[in-house]
Amino acid sequence: MTVALAVPDVLVARAQAGDEAALEALYRAFETPVYNLARRMLRNAEDAEDVLQETFLEVVKSIRDYRGEGYLWGWIRRIAATKALMRIRREQLRATEPLDEDHGKAGMHIGANLDLERAFEHLTDTSRAVVWLHDVEGYTHEEIGELMGKSVSFSKSQLARAHARLRGLLGEGEGARA
Amino acid sequence: MMHCTMDDLLALRAGEASVWARRHVEDCAVCRTELDSVYQRVAQLKALPALRPPRDRWSIVRDAVRVEQSRRRRTWGVWSLAAAAALAGVLLAPGLGSNGTLHAELSRAKDQSATLEDQLQNYDVDGRVLTGRTAARVADLEDKIAVIDGDLARWGAIKPQTQDAQLVKLWQQRVDLMRQLVNVRVTNARYVGL
Repeated sequence: MTVALAVPDVLVARAQAGDEAALEALYRAFETPVYNLARRMLRNAEDAEDVLQETFLEVVKSIRDYRGEGYLWGWIRRIAATKALMRIRREQLRATEPLDEDHGKAGMHIGANLDLERAFEHLTDTSRAVVWLHDVEGYTHEEIGELMGKSVSFSKSQLARAHARLRGLLGEGEGARA
Repeated sequence: MMHCTMDDLLALRAGEASVWARRHVEDCAVCRTELDSVYQRVAQLKALPALRPPRDRWSIVRDAVRVEQSRRRRTWGVWSLAAAAALAGVLLAPGLGSNGTLHAELSRAKDQSATLEDQLQNYDVDGRVLTGRTAARVADLEDKIAVIDGDLARWGAIKPQTQDAQLVKLWQQRVDLMRQLVNVRVTNARYVGL
């Protein structure tokens, strides 16, 4: 999903002044892209809803600090991505899974011919986040590494492993290299 | 024959591939197909439908906005109140006040207000959670208190040397609202179990 949403400067200025109607207008403008980003990165719909809420609580708290550098969506998206990644890290700590562990769902095998959306959901949380941020949202590996507190090569290798896994789950290229 | 790895294919897509990979993909139909598949997968990911939030969370965000705004106003109000209290002190100084009853009532209202402020300060506001309705009620009461604090602050500018029943009434209204606020805070908030 590509968001090319322009928000009038006057609306941002009103929101910065604490105008509730303007804040709601921003919420309405960005609730779907924020939720979509969080939902694609996270396995659980309720977690994505929580990220949506946390993101806008942060937006309301910090909108005065937004100085208009770059698009507002870029600013909000970064907050949302950070919140979603924090949630992934927390879940991984709870489950004591290493961040780069590549595990598929039990019973999944190469050539299952899933559709892309389902195959995407079978990636690990970290891989899914990297693929979405890089391939869909357009983040660079440097930016992803910074967001995740990891190296550029970590982001690159996660992306390559995720694409290899998607290829397998989608049953693409079977026998082509035999 | 050696083919491109997924790293090579992604590097080709990013325009960062090695000379070998760039040359190889020109000659190898299999790797060109693989590279096309990568492009197609990414295009399909971008084309996935937007997932919409199943529930509206604005009311929760809005309540937080109102509480935050009230808190800001209250912070301003406390400074205003301090100024108003200083003014009242001047007005009540021996020789300046002409009405003993008003003096006593004003003094009592000020004491009550200060006691309620202390109660609220000692109450762990941040460690408790409010329902949306209670948060709205708190915000409403804090708004009203902020308005009165503003009136008290302006009192000095409008009537710097006078003391009348209106001033006493304002302080009594403030006491009444503070009492309601303490009640709502104490009876309706719950500790967060973190």
